[in-house]
Amino acid sequence: MTGDITDEVDATVQAAATEIIGWGETAERLARDPVNQPRIDDWLEAMDFPEASRQRFAAGEAPPSMAQVWTMYGLGGRAPERDPLHAMMNILTDLGLTGVLGTNCEQTYERYLTVGEQVRVTTALESVVGPKRTGMGEGYFVTSRSTWYVDTLTPEGVASEKVASMHFRVLKFIPAVRREEAAS
Amino acid sequence: MRALSVGERLPELALPITPTMVVSTALATRDFQDVHHDRDRAQAAGSQDIFVNILTSTALCERYVSEWAGADVELRGIAIRLGAPAYPYDTLTFSGSVAAVEDGVATIAVTGAVSLGDHVTGTVRIAC
Repeated sequence: MTGDITDEVDATVQAAATEIIGWGETAERLARDPVNQPRIDDWLEAMDFPEASRQRFAAGEAPPSMAQVWTMYGLGGRAPERDPLHAMMNILTDLGLTGVLGTNCEQTYERYLTVGEQVRVTTALESVVGPKRTGMGEGYFVTSRSTWYVDTLTPEGVASEKVASMHFRVLKFIPAVRREEAAS
Repeated sequence: MRALSVGERLPELALPITPTMVVSTALATRDFQDVHHDRDRAQAAGSQDIFVNILTSTALCERYVSEWAGADVELRGIAIRLGAPAYPYDTLTFSGSVAAVEDGVATIAVTGAVSLGDHVTGTVRIAC
């Protein structure tokens, strides 16, 4: 290999990826708050949705692309140690791949959430592809999968329903600018 | 919903990007990363300015297709690829067309372009 990423670094990355992918769907977290109207209203206002959409989402339904919003970490929030995406990202950062760039986000909605529902999310590491040379620098494409669930109490017990999922891909790279600095 | 035909074009939607828009949408999506609200930190990280976050790029695809299809539209999914950053004082202009209609789902191809190139390209799937 002739790039910035040595065979030794690549071997470390591949071994870590294999292990963390093996954790499967894990790092389960509850949304801090149930799906709620004030947050829906703030979101609709910030995105400047037209009046017709604001009326629709004042009647109990939440906009589908808010799925991820409910389980964001919040100000100062931190991912758990065993979160597959963050674990993989930390390993790459420690190996000198300090740059990060979101490249793809693919969300699927099984149904719309409704006000009052309590959402939980799981994360899995799906793939780590590279090393690849890009315009940003040499690095790896890291793809994770998040799955959102709503649990409801039924006479038969707790029913767990998948409501949305997301594939999220980032490029984790050695910034090209650092190489230029090193050369000067 | 009315019948959709492949190739039908959506009207363009031009959204002025302001610092307030970048900050308020980042916070409304509960994304507190400093590059979305602190210009000094964004520039220290190598960006020209604060920039629109990914949850907002996705949300604006929902808004764009909803404004055209009607508020009662049922979205099945949004898949986007991210390109040029969307900075304040630029304009994010959405365009789109019906790419496929099959099995009760229409796939709408959307592009959101800024002066630096395509900020977001992707598809929004809706029930039809």
